[in-house]
Amino acid sequence: MKGNGVKIGFTIAFLAIAIYYLQFSVRYWLLEKHVNSLSGNTKTEYVKQNQKEISNLRDRILNLGLDLQGGMHVTLQLDTPRLLIDLAREGGKDTLLTNTVNKAETIADKNNTDFIDEFVNLFEAKDPNARLSRYYRSEADNITRRSTNAEVAAYLKKQRDSAVQRAIQIIRTRIDRFGVNEPNIVKQGHNRIAVELPGVQDDQRVRNLLKGTARLEFHLCAEPAELQSSLKQIITYFNKQDSSAANDTVAARNNPLLKVFVPQGQSVIFGSATAQDSAKVDSLLGLSAVRTMLPRNVELMWTAKPSFTSKDGNKYYNLIGVRDQVELTGDVIEEARPEFDRYTNAPEVSMTMDREGARKWSRLTGANINKPIAIVLDGLVYTYPRVITKINDGRSSITGLSSTQEAEDLVNILMSGALPAPLQIVEQRTVGPSLGEASIHSGFNSTIMGLLIVAIFMILYYHKGGSIADLALMFNILFILGIMAAFKATLTLPGIAGIVLTIGMAVDANVLIFERIREELNAGKSMRAAIDSGYANAMSAIIDSNITTFLTGAILYSFGSGPIKGFAVTLMAGIVSSLFTAIIITRIVVDYLTRDKVTAVSFG
Amino acid sequence: MRIFENANINFIGNRKLWYLISGTVFLTAVLGIAIRGLQYGVDFKGGQEFVVQFQKTANVTKVRDVLTKSLKSQPEVKQYGSKTMLLIRTEAKGTQTDVEDNINNTLKQSFPDNQANIVNSYIVGPRFADTLKRGALYSCITAVFVIFIYVWLRFRNWEYSTGAVVALVHDVTITLGLFTILDHHLPFSMDLDESLIAALLTIFGYSINDTVVVFDRIRENLHLFKTEPLDEIMNKSVNQTLSRTIITSGTTLFVVLVLFIFGGEVLKDLSFALLIGIVVGTYSSIFIASAIALDLQNWRASTYGKTKKAKASVR
Repeated sequence: MKGNGVKIGFTIAFLAIAIYYLQFSVRYWLLEKHVNSLSGNTKTEYVKQNQKEISNLRDRILNLGLDLQGGMHVTLQLDTPRLLIDLAREGGKDTLLTNTVNKAETIADKNNTDFIDEFVNLFEAKDPNARLSRYYRSEADNITRRSTNAEVAAYLKKQRDSAVQRAIQIIRTRIDRFGVNEPNIVKQGHNRIAVELPGVQDDQRVRNLLKGTARLEFHLCAEPAELQSSLKQIITYFNKQDSSAANDTVAARNNPLLKVFVPQGQSVIFGSATAQDSAKVDSLLGLSAVRTMLPRNVELMWTAKPSFTSKDGNKYYNLIGVRDQVELTGDVIEEARPEFDRYTNAPEVSMTMDREGARKWSRLTGANINKPIAIVLDGLVYTYPRVITKINDGRSSITGLSSTQEAEDLVNILMSGALPAPLQIVEQRTVGPSLGEASIHSGFNSTIMGLLIVAIFMILYYHKGGSIADLALMFNILFILGIMAAFKATLTLPGIAGIVLTIGMAVDANVLIFERIREELNAGKSMRAAIDSGYANAMSAIIDSNITTFLTGAILYSFGSGPIKGFAVTLMAGIVSSLFTAIIITRIVVDYLTRDKVTAVSFG
Repeated sequence: MRIFENANINFIGNRKLWYLISGTVFLTAVLGIAIRGLQYGVDFKGGQEFVVQFQKTANVTKVRDVLTKSLKSQPEVKQYGSKTMLLIRTEAKGTQTDVEDNINNTLKQSFPDNQANIVNSYIVGPRFADTLKRGALYSCITAVFVIFIYVWLRFRNWEYSTGAVVALVHDVTITLGLFTILDHHLPFSMDLDESLIAALLTIFGYSINDTVVVFDRIRENLHLFKTEPLDEIMNKSVNQTLSRTIITSGTTLFVVLVLFIFGGEVLKDLSFALLIGIVVGTYSSIFIASAIALDLQNWRASTYGKTKKAKASVR
């Protein structure tokens, strides 16, 4: 009985905290219900007037996971190998470097080790005397010709970190422009970014938005005559590859290139292929014997949009010959706007360059009148318009877009800045809102049902003691939700399962205590003494068993991803709060009930 | 109402029988895993998984046939909860957008009078799947290790730690084996995925919880009955905690059963794993964990030449 003042104080304090954090959710829920009951103008007006309160509340409510409210979860991975090549001086042309990078990537994947470490090890293994500093220099980071490989490795890791940070910022800007409530963007590991977008359903659009590096480049195109002659050479080469070919017609039929590729050779168009076959074409044309047949300093790039559709409904993309020298980059773009073509009304993006860019642009267009200039975004040719006059005002535009939406997204990507390296989507989860709602319902229903079953059983089995334990159980659920709201944890579907499980296990502490009290009573102790020693003797079992369960919850939290983390959080919150409620709160009630006469409480 | 009041069942004395039963089931589970191999879900294998909502009842075989043709590889197609929802899982090549568009278009063309909509999609790259798999493996190993250390610290006795951990491995292997053997035979997904790992770790926690309560009682009784032999003390302790073990397991089993029946499609495999795990975990805490601790102590006593049977070495 002594010391119960402290216990009561704690209980009231915790209760107040839990209620304080949960009232935001209740108020938000009521507000949302009210807003939904309104319609049309009154609704917009009301939302506008209460904007501040709504967003204030939204920040503090119990978050629902994407699996409950619908939305999209994407894990992106920064292309570190590409970053390393881009950072190196003349990186793409040095075969030693590119080979080492590729090999290091495979090894790091297989052994789950750090890619940069593997890269350095491999580089040193190839030539123990070689220095990485011949590729990497940085005045700001004090990386000079004399820097050791370890220093360069540290520099590269720093660059990777900052690339991920920059990528996160850029993605945040893009998503904000796209308009998503409460996006959640966090770094994961060395080179991954987890993005959570509640309510978003248009996954294809978002995918393009996240992935686009926004590397905008202006290239001159190849000479048509040169291109044509190398095309002829290449076709002949592949004809000869098939030794069984007796004459030219049979060879043409068996030509591996012509099976997947339609040669064109008009102006700057090298040929065409379907999207499915483009990878095959790339690998055939990428053979080193074939590459030497291409005109010097010319690269082949696919168009972003199909140029024609065949009779059987296949869409064909053109392969364009462009000079590999980059004349201008997207850095010079000062402003980009979605617009419509004056004549065809097709959507396009018009861009304005800064002063420096405009000067270069003017020189470039002036020197290349009547020749095409390719506008390349992320390695795909969007347009290759013929220059008609010298352009002095730094204007240019990207045409060949399929919709206004695409134009808007492109502007968004261009204005948010270029990603430091490409991002790959390694995991994506999309949950429809209707399925989320169904999950909430079934989760909620089973929680209530489970709760009722346990509560009734406890009363039947432990009589008054059981109803005290049930009271503790109610507090327990309130506390769990309060803890989650206070720590801004997210309630997921497996999380609800965690709560249901906690309900089953929460009574455990009380079962331990009550069983113990029964034993003490059987041993002939008085009710008061039995209660005292029941609580005292059950304590070590309760503590030990809960700590082990809590430890597994913590392990689950540190290794699991997304929804599973949610499960671990509710499990841990459940253990903490059930310990408190089962030991402290029931004791207060039992002591209160037995203050005058001990028979006021019974344990079945 | 009281159950198992003053129970006096000879758990420890009959331990050879329990070893036989457990050993048989355990070996069956191991054999099942060895023969069929672990059935990985999308999380651990990589691939693409879609839930498609049809307007009317969908014909699983027909959907599988048209998709096999258009994807150029056979997808896994099965009902998902209701007759109008299908789960489609594929490892077809191509970018995510391609596969999703392919499925969307194929279904719209093949079933014009039964509109299909992709309501859920889950896509995991093969490399990321490896990362997830590794994480899961590490978490299981760490859990076993941490629990071993904790029990050892609390009871200052490695035999108890070993008994607890053997019971854990026993429970998890049997659950995993049952899932592997039953996969594709029950109307819900039983693949090894992240939520199953969550269930397995929860079983870890649950099983150790029961075991520790028994051990705690043994520790207490060792101080109370200093003259009695260890096997009798252990048996007494298991019996004394029996009603608590059964009641807690019963209430937990009940709520998990409710979750299994009414919790919706997504939680089916998680709750089913918990159901099995709780039953097996309760069994092992009563029949296996203490028995192993006892035999290990006896073994140590005989090996190191102590004449008396192992005695209270637990603090």
